[in-house]
Amino acid sequence: MKRNTLVISAVLFILAVFAWAGWANWELRRQAAERALAAVAQGQLVPDAAGGEPDPLSPFKGKPAPEFALEDLSGKKVSLASYKGKAVLINFWATWCGPCKIETPWLIELRNQYAAQGFEVLGVSTDDLDRDDAQKLSDDKKEIARSVAQLHISYPVLIDGASIATPYGGLDAMPTSFFVDRSGTVVAAQMGLTSKDDIEANIKKALGK
Amino acid sequence: MPWIRAGIHIAAVFLGSAALLAWGQADDPARSILKGAAVEYLYPEQVTVAAGKANLVVLHFRVAPGMHINSHTPKDEFLIPTVFSIPEGAGVRLADVSYPVGTEFILPLDPGNKLSVYTGEFAIQARIVAEPGNHLVEAKLRFQACDKNECLPPKTIPVAIDVIGK
Repeated sequence: MKRNTLVISAVLFILAVFAWAGWANWELRRQAAERALAAVAQGQLVPDAAGGEPDPLSPFKGKPAPEFALEDLSGKKVSLASYKGKAVLINFWATWCGPCKIETPWLIELRNQYAAQGFEVLGVSTDDLDRDDAQKLSDDKKEIARSVAQLHISYPVLIDGASIATPYGGLDAMPTSFFVDRSGTVVAAQMGLTSKDDIEANIKKALGK
Repeated sequence: MPWIRAGIHIAAVFLGSAALLAWGQADDPARSILKGAAVEYLYPEQVTVAAGKANLVVLHFRVAPGMHINSHTPKDEFLIPTVFSIPEGAGVRLADVSYPVGTEFILPLDPGNKLSVYTGEFAIQARIVAEPGNHLVEAKLRFQACDKNECLPPKTIPVAIDVIGK
């Protein structure tokens, strides 16, 4: 009798653990699905339901790259529209971003390699700019220019990338790159450091190769 | 009894599987904090100090798993250091602050560049001078966090401490 009670209790306990595991599994999947839905609505980067790498492309792929006009380091306004007909890599970076500095030499090399085929890189700095204080704003720009010189960046560098963060999905992490084809459509995007090969493959996609 | 031993083995296998099933659903922590704070203030929430004198308070923080933040003395001039501050007018003044030495960190794709960072739990030693009375201080910690592939923008988090000056 005592033995039977022990066995029944053990079986009930095991069933309860399974029920809990099932509920926990369902609840986690439900929360992940909600996060994914919210991300699509707001264009944010979040983990996918399986907990793998986020896909920053989902809200942008196949759509026109959001238009912008930002200043370069000399104060000249540069618009994305002025690059229509070229394949463009829009590379959001920052002076404080270590992984950005690793990929910069790759971007310089790839730009030199594919420029003749109608390819350009636009480096968009997301460093904070103090627009309320002229002196600080000037110092902020000098710091970006110093970093550009130190990294030997030869492609156009635009500033105040944070002002276009919303249309570009929030720019939650650096580096973030968008690959735009000759018609202005986003064909690929990358968040975080990947590899030179990955970047080159996306450049070829943008060039229609 | 053989059937009892068999029952125990089956139960152990079931329990192990259930635990693994539930654990396996958790998101990668480094990715999950993209929209949240990379650093969390742990304790103390309240300190009692001698009013008018410099008192040592050790503040404990935790960096999210998989992430690192620059130490107070990063090795690259463009990297943003971790800085603790107390706003003026809080009834509590920061007389001095001592930061832990950063640990060495190397990005896998940049082996020649050694960074100085904080990971996991770290503590900042602050010497504070409090006026007599109870002060709810909202101190600040500014930092910039990265994982091995990407960096989050610089952030300032509140460090709420109830300081009682006696």
